[in-house]
Amino acid sequence: MMVRIQVNQESCIGSGQCEMLEEETFVLDDDTGISQVVGTGLLPADRAEKVIDMCPGRAISLTET
Amino acid sequence: MSTAPTEAPLSPNVTDASLYLDGIPYDRFAEMRATPGLVWHDYHDGGFWAVTRHADVRTMSRDAEVFSSAVGHTNLWDLEADALEARRSLIDTDSPDHTRLRRLVARAFTPKNIRRWEDTVRVITAELLDEFVEKGQGDFVAEVAAPLPIRVILTMLGVPVEDAGYLVELSNFLVEGTGETQSIPPDAFGNTTELRLLPFNSPASHALFEYGEKMGEMRRNDPQDDLVTSLVQAEAEDGDRLSGSEYRNLFHLLVFAGNETTRTALSHGAMALADHPDQWQRVLDDPSLIESATEEVLRWSSPVMHMRRTTTKEVELAGTTLGAGEKVVMWYSSANRDDAVFDDPFAFDVGRQDNAHFSFGGGGPHLCLGAYLARLEIIVLLEEMAKRKLHLTRLGEPVRAPSNFVHGVLSVDMAVEARA
Ligand code: HEM
Repeated sequence: MMVRIQVNQESCIGSGQCEMLEEETFVLDDDTGISQVVGTGLLPADRAEKVIDMCPGRAISLTET
Repeated sequence: MSTAPTEAPLSPNVTDASLYLDGIPYDRFAEMRATPGLVWHDYHDGGFWAVTRHADVRTMSRDAEVFSSAVGHTNLWDLEADALEARRSLIDTDSPDHTRLRRLVARAFTPKNIRRWEDTVRVITAELLDEFVEKGQGDFVAEVAAPLPIRVILTMLGVPVEDAGYLVELSNFLVEGTGETQSIPPDAFGNTTELRLLPFNSPASHALFEYGEKMGEMRRNDPQDDLVTSLVQAEAEDGDRLSGSEYRNLFHLLVFAGNETTRTALSHGAMALADHPDQWQRVLDDPSLIESATEEVLRWSSPVMHMRRTTTKEVELAGTTLGAGEKVVMWYSSANRDDAVFDDPFAFDVGRQDNAHFSFGGGGPHLCLGAYLARLEIIVLLEEMAKRKLHLTRLGEPVRAPSNFVHGVLSVDMAVEARA
């Protein structure tokens, strides 16, 4: 099953864990160092769960709907 | 404030520094893990709740709103308010201060960006190893484990090579400040600040602050491609992004945080490889194991044995109700041996899978900034040792640091030999 994720820009601390785990989905902005979702933001549910779990800023979540 | 349970199931003591002279008192931690709820632990200036199970350390690390780093202190003892303020660095802040400060330095340390230092790490490692091999034997800490991390971080900061010796010296005095005695007088390095206002109560902190300021001044006038430049530029862009005190303490933290810790991981790693030659042989036969071996070295060594938080409100953890303003201490050294998570936790297994160790913390916002730098240093050391087919043998017992905080090795004599 695919799910859609989002990044809360307020709480992202720029650790880059997401970029390491899912380089197709997350990119750290060059200026701010804050994570951004690129593309559709769709991930298989198990991989989404992992990247959500690994984020130290607790900044990644599933989108509603 | 809640008080100690009246029928405490055990009266634990894991804070006596002398206990650690023979290694981590794992049996005491096993007993605490097996005790339901959290265990109350007495301590000089007020006791704390000991959190010893992996699952509970995890829960607590991820809830920084309730378990604060900014209140009291992140070490076992409280600091007076003025001292806490003067010494406050990234590690003792909560969001939003934490988020703002962390973002200033985060970029250089992401897993992706840290790779750009691989060649630097490799050159330094190769040089130290080759000198050690030439001697054939010596103290692994002094020969390899101590100089490697400090040389790397000074290069990243942009400290000129001719000053590196001075900063290594300061850093060694700071290490001393984490123990019981200091060998330098309070006014060393022209210090006039009260020691309790300085990190590690050490006059060497004053010298490090001064050096950081001098270097910041130089980089403000003449920017370079280094970490100090990126810090002073952050400061310049907008006066309140980084205050003078924040810059000083951040420079200090960057010089210091990765030294004793990485040195400890490398020293225990070398000892583990010497003590488990079958495991080292597995790595030599299959270098693709270096990544999992690195995680196992980290789990095995637990360089930072605990960090403390203070509750901001009443909360329940592991079935125990904590009041607001209570000390709670996460014991990573215990979580790393929790058999609820690790099969056969006392086996050193370079092929261990899903190694969810907490040596860099339990996964919240304070997750070690230098985690991927430390990993890189361990990986490169193992690679360079494997390339040379080096075998380490112990010539004696290690001299351990009398500390309940850093699992430090002061010295360990080893022989090194290249075998075809
Ligand atoms: C094996 C080596 C290392 C270990 C075991 C280690 C361990 C830790 C731990 C457990 C924390 C969490 C503190 C807390 O939650 O309160 C931490 C934070 C930190 N570490 Fe490391 N560390 C290591 C190497 C490094 C290196 C190489 C650096 C280099 C810059 C570094 C810089 C920091 C900083 C700046 C923090 C504070 C992060 C924050 O509060 O956001 N560490 N480290």
